[in-house]
Amino acid sequence: MNYSPVFAASRITVSINPPSIQANMGDKITYTGTITNNSDKAVNNIIAYISLANVTRGKESPMDLEDWSANKAIKVDTIPPRGTYEGKWPMRLIDSGSYVAYIMVVDKNDNIPVSSAMSRLEIKRVLRLNPNNVLPVALGEPILLGIVFIFIYFRRKRVK
Amino acid sequence: MKTAYIMQKEIKESILTPKGFLWYNLTSVILSVLSYLFLTNSELSLLDQGEMLYMIMNFITALGVLIGLVFGADSFAGEIERGTIEALFLSPANKTEITMGKLGAALTNWGIIFIISLPYLFVVGKGGQNLLTGIAYLAILGTLLVITFSAFSMGLSARIKSMKNSLIISFFIFLLAGSPIFLSAAQRKTWFGNILDLINPFADAINTFDSVVIDSQGFSYQIGRVAIICGYTFLSLWFLKRSASRLEM
Repeated sequence: MNYSPVFAASRITVSINPPSIQANMGDKITYTGTITNNSDKAVNNIIAYISLANVTRGKESPMDLEDWSANKAIKVDTIPPRGTYEGKWPMRLIDSGSYVAYIMVVDKNDNIPVSSAMSRLEIKRVLRLNPNNVLPVALGEPILLGIVFIFIYFRRKRVK
Repeated sequence: MKTAYIMQKEIKESILTPKGFLWYNLTSVILSVLSYLFLTNSELSLLDQGEMLYMIMNFITALGVLIGLVFGADSFAGEIERGTIEALFLSPANKTEITMGKLGAALTNWGIIFIISLPYLFVVGKGGQNLLTGIAYLAILGTLLVITFSAFSMGLSARIKSMKNSLIISFFIFLLAGSPIFLSAAQRKTWFGNILDLINPFADAINTFDSVVIDSQGFSYQIGRVAIICGYTFLSLWFLKRSASRLEM
């Protein structure tokens, strides 16, 4: 295989949009990645994927995107010479904190992956104490069944 | 009529007692914790409504099957160990009526668990997709699975005549049936995982729930799996009938 790192670095570029996002937990956002073929030859069979890293102090780690995004990797069959490809990565914001998102492009004919700049993502925590009115059921039903239990207990005791 | 009488006796002895009713208190506490966690905990609460409903349905089915197995293991071996089987055989009810009465009690138990779980299902699945269809499938497949596992456990209890041993074997079967839960997604996609998924009635039920609630697929997609579960139900009932007919004083 013929690797040419200098050529590879300039052949493809990728950008991420928007450059920063501020949103709440539970929101759905979409990142757009624009892959540009800067060469006079078509680029074939490249893989583009998004990565997310938690940069919150004390929680620094790469994120498993399975719950965040249904569409992690995109296979691009071909980008014509001087052409562009636009990929979309919808994402559901699962947890609060500070994150950075970036898009990587991998071409099997090159030995250096291409990365976009990092997009800053700030997610605000949303505290919901009674979503879907769960509290009346979650507290009420055990209490109701507890009352039935006490009734059965004393009835049995009286019979004995 | 005699079957109804046996069933009533079983319900009085096993369900309408403080010890028996405690199962339902525990069920509601566990379901409360689970649904509150699902809806409020940061990561879990953001799961799809359908996925939450699916997970709660799996839990309710597993709980129903588990309690059904315990009921089944106690049915004949428990009576033998307590020395009450003779009194039961001296009653005007024949073996089939006794067996059906006991199975009816196990089904009543499942019915109570299902009713207890309904408010949780509505809360967790509110605003989501396929809630009512999911509940209908849970009612039908849950009932078939409870009949299957309870009848198998009752048959075992009649043959082994030891509650401890029939309970242990039943639990092994339950673990084997629940094995898809322990396999990773990749392992389940192998030929071994596919076969295990297909021949396992419990896996058939949870895959049907998945298909109905999450993927919104119609009945035509479920026919094969439902047929397999029905097959197991008939097989278990046949095993129970054979085992109960061998019982002697």
